[in-house]
Amino acid sequence: MSVLVPLYLAGLGALSLPVLFHLIRRTPRGHQPFSTLLFLSPSPPRLTRRSRLDHWLLLLLRAAALALLALAFARPFFRASAVLSLEQLAGRRVAIVLDTSASMRRSDLWPQALAHAERTIKELGPNDDVALVTFDEHAQTIVDFERPGEPPTRDKPNLVRQQLKSLGPSWRSTDLGSALVSVATELDSAVEEAESIAEPQIVLITDLQSGSRVEDLQAYEWPSQVPVVVHAVRASKSSNASALLLTDTEQATEDDDSRVRVINAADSTAEQFFVRWQSADGRLAADESLPVHVPAGQSRVVRLKRPSELTADRIELIGDDDVFDNLHFVVPPRIETLPVVYIGNDSPTDPEGPRYYMEIAWADDALRQVELHTLTDDKAANPDEGGDEERASSESEAASDSRGGKPNLTWSELSTLRPKAVVVTGALSATMQERLRNFAESGGLLLLAPLSREAAATHAALFDGVEVIAPDSEAAEGDSTAEATESRDSDVEQTAGGRRGYRLLAEIDFSHPLFQPFSNPRYNDFTAIHFWRHRRLRLEDDSPFQTLARFDNGDPAILEQALGDGRGILFTSGWHPADSQLALSSKFVPLMQLLLDQAAGGKLVRSSVAVGESLALPAWKSRANVVNARRVRTVTKPDKTIVRLTSDATNFDDTDQPGLYELRSDEETYLFAVNLDASESNTAPLDVGQLEQAGVRLGTEITQAERRDRLRQQRDKELEDRQQVWRWLIVAALGILMLETGLASRAARQTNQPTEATS
Amino acid sequence: MARSRQQLGQRNGGSGRAPSGSNASFIDPATLVRIKNLQLRAKVVVEGFFSGLHRSPYHGFSVEFSEYRQYTAGDDLRYLDWKLFARSDRYYIKRFEDETNLRCYLLVDLSRSMGFGSVGYDKAEYARTTAATFAYFLSLQRDAVGLVTFDERIQDYLPARFRPGHLHRVMMGLEHAVAGKSTNLQLPLEQIARTAAKRGMIVLISDMLAPIEAIESQLGYLRSRGHEAVVMRVLDPAEVDFGFDQPAMFQDLESGREMYIDPAATRDEYRRRFEEHAAGLDRVCNQLGIDLYSLSTDRPVEFALFDLLNSRMHRGRQASRQTGQRAAATGGGGL
Repeated sequence: MSVLVPLYLAGLGALSLPVLFHLIRRTPRGHQPFSTLLFLSPSPPRLTRRSRLDHWLLLLLRAAALALLALAFARPFFRASAVLSLEQLAGRRVAIVLDTSASMRRSDLWPQALAHAERTIKELGPNDDVALVTFDEHAQTIVDFERPGEPPTRDKPNLVRQQLKSLGPSWRSTDLGSALVSVATELDSAVEEAESIAEPQIVLITDLQSGSRVEDLQAYEWPSQVPVVVHAVRASKSSNASALLLTDTEQATEDDDSRVRVINAADSTAEQFFVRWQSADGRLAADESLPVHVPAGQSRVVRLKRPSELTADRIELIGDDDVFDNLHFVVPPRIETLPVVYIGNDSPTDPEGPRYYMEIAWADDALRQVELHTLTDDKAANPDEGGDEERASSESEAASDSRGGKPNLTWSELSTLRPKAVVVTGALSATMQERLRNFAESGGLLLLAPLSREAAATHAALFDGVEVIAPDSEAAEGDSTAEATESRDSDVEQTAGGRRGYRLLAEIDFSHPLFQPFSNPRYNDFTAIHFWRHRRLRLEDDSPFQTLARFDNGDPAILEQALGDGRGILFTSGWHPADSQLALSSKFVPLMQLLLDQAAGGKLVRSSVAVGESLALPAWKSRANVVNARRVRTVTKPDKTIVRLTSDATNFDDTDQPGLYELRSDEETYLFAVNLDASESNTAPLDVGQLEQAGVRLGTEITQAERRDRLRQQRDKELEDRQQVWRWLIVAALGILMLETGLASRAARQTNQPTEATS
Repeated sequence: MARSRQQLGQRNGGSGRAPSGSNASFIDPATLVRIKNLQLRAKVVVEGFFSGLHRSPYHGFSVEFSEYRQYTAGDDLRYLDWKLFARSDRYYIKRFEDETNLRCYLLVDLSRSMGFGSVGYDKAEYARTTAATFAYFLSLQRDAVGLVTFDERIQDYLPARFRPGHLHRVMMGLEHAVAGKSTNLQLPLEQIARTAAKRGMIVLISDMLAPIEAIESQLGYLRSRGHEAVVMRVLDPAEVDFGFDQPAMFQDLESGREMYIDPAATRDEYRRRFEEHAAGLDRVCNQLGIDLYSLSTDRPVEFALFDLLNSRMHRGRQASRQTGQRAAATGGGGL
């Protein structure tokens, strides 16, 4: 027999009380009021020896009742086996959750973390199961728990040890909340499914930095049976600051000052820092570093002059102990050059011609320079005759390109420049048609705006399923008036004659990338633009053309057709004043810029992402979706490893380290910067209490001996609960007390009777 | 003198014995206290007393001639005894006992110690009845009666008057419950000394259960102003013989102090100390010339009235004797 709460046995000391009371004749209970005690002196209470002899049965009963009560409170039980070995201990399921975020790169945090993990593994009992989970931005299970039904893994602790050796901190940010939630959910569900008595436990090894995200814990009801033991590793020297470029690189020009924010962590001991530009080769970008004084826990914004002579691509911060976040990478601004070929006879200075307006629309762009090369339509019509005399004789030959200032070249010369787009207004020869078709099929953009019906016919020959029709047939249908037939250009429909009649754009496809920016109701009013003339086309029923816009009489206005990898866009009416008011409207410049965007083949949406973030790749947003499809693209990481992208990849996810990445396709090279998540620099320690506030049940690590003791106690309690000897003891005590009461009252009656008789 | 000494002894040692030898004709006090109305109770006592006295009180204390004194110049001629002058040709001034104008103050102790009683009613009840009887009796004689009830301070004070309704107020004043933690004679006696300029009679009804030293200094007040003083000591039989048999926690009614007492062990000691106290009190009263009567609460109240009248008569004779002796010493003729 054993007792659960031995301290209550001290109550047996109360056994002396009845003995004492029996020795002392009790002071009488009766009170006698008396007028004065003036003549009285107190009588001493008398000890009588006979009382013990008289009431020995009562004494025994009272002592027995007290002893039974004390025993009952001590919760006795009968124990079968007293010893408990380690092997009998129920196994634990210990999940070692290891922080591998970038902040673990600080000083000696990683060795500390490994030491903690090793200590946890050593403490494992023979029945314990262990899993290893690392987390930074996402949790990753390295070694899993044993599953029911699967063969048990042999020597699991050693497996975990080996895995730990191959691990190292990453550059990603810390999402502590989601990692804890996922591990706890798994442990909890495993407990429920297996109905196992193995107690789950999470051993969290982390630097508990303030930048850790714990929001996921807020919405999660933490399972009560999963305790978390937190081993927080701390850096010996703690001062950390980071620099962040605020200016948008695309807007920055070389002589601009860049605004840099310097953030100092809350627990930093240093306050004086320096920031400077740095280049990839490690040369100092600026002679002087800019001193910045930032008190701990605060941030300052300073202006840092961007050096002009160097290709500075990173900002370095000097002055803190933890250097893992001291570089901030910036893509150096780059001006893109777009070679475009213009085939047409009009002069760049002629305000009546379409080219004049086109050049103006493309002129004002800081980051994109259009290199316009002219190929006269004569030459285009007779490409084989290409020679110096024709270059001199051509009207437009004399006009050199206003941007590049280059003389006219032959097509073969031009094709080496890899033009992005070809704009055609004049007629094309059969050879030129063939060349342009090849150009388009290899991914180029054809922009066709025929000035005449003949030119339109040669343009239409490039496409399938379209033919140019005469306006007569249209006039015969009664749409045109008699004046229309008298028009000087009988090959086009001249609506309502002269400037009196006009067509408007209707049925615009605002879902197309060309018109999508206009889809907002504030900008989608095209009714102010009058079209005087347009070339009439008839589309076959199964035409592959996509009609982007129609006139109000149903004639197509802007058409698009995919040609191989490239596309052709056909305007049936020009933008110059002779055809329409389009060039004079506010829609013209954005429309031409959008066309240029299409020609450039897209660009990076963002030039800078955080580590672990995915980058949207530039892609042709055509419905045909064929432009980039067959291209081979690679990404070169900062450590010079090359990642080949699949043909249908739309995102690049492998941003696992900070630095400058190079995205290279056949023709294009994009640079983008990957930087550490700003929250990772917030290395001030997080209070463990915040986890508790979020509902996490914190536990303490206990040794095996402690566990054994605790388990024994638990088992004792169960035994005691089952046997419940104390109830019987209480019942016995009550019975004895009742007996004692009866005996005592009888004794009292016996003693009273003689006194009454005497009185 | 021998007679007076005998009277004194009888007075001070009186503890329940009726002067007439039998108290069969008197009313049992236990029956008496059942009458709730104090005035009615007093009336019953007084009239019963008269019926047993065989002497009409209506003449007893009327204007009574006490002595002659030789006329001296300046005496009021109204009191000149002309008949005597006719017989003896000498001028004598008649002197009367000033009894009709007796001013009697009843000092009733209503402290908590008076709340003790072992015979079915407490000492306070007995004291009230006694005081009411005296007041009724005196008012019948057209004497002025004043009342002071007190414990450690004065509860009620009624100046001595004789006027309609005054008796009723006296009765009301007696109705106070027992209170207070101690008995303090000083305050009521000072009060009477302040207000009663004329000499009178002071009847103190109390159990006198206080240290002798305190009583001695306080009773000094009674006589200091020349008042005639009578102490009626009300005692419960249990206080006298300590007839308890069971050990108990004895609680002092006034101080609340408790003490474990085994009566069997302490009875003798108690009696001895009580006797000492009584003897001390007797001595003090003798020294101060105060008449002391013990009233046991199981005695009929009429005896208290007897005691009072005894005291009066004794005083009257003593006074007349003293006056006669003084007159003889001065050479004046006396009757």
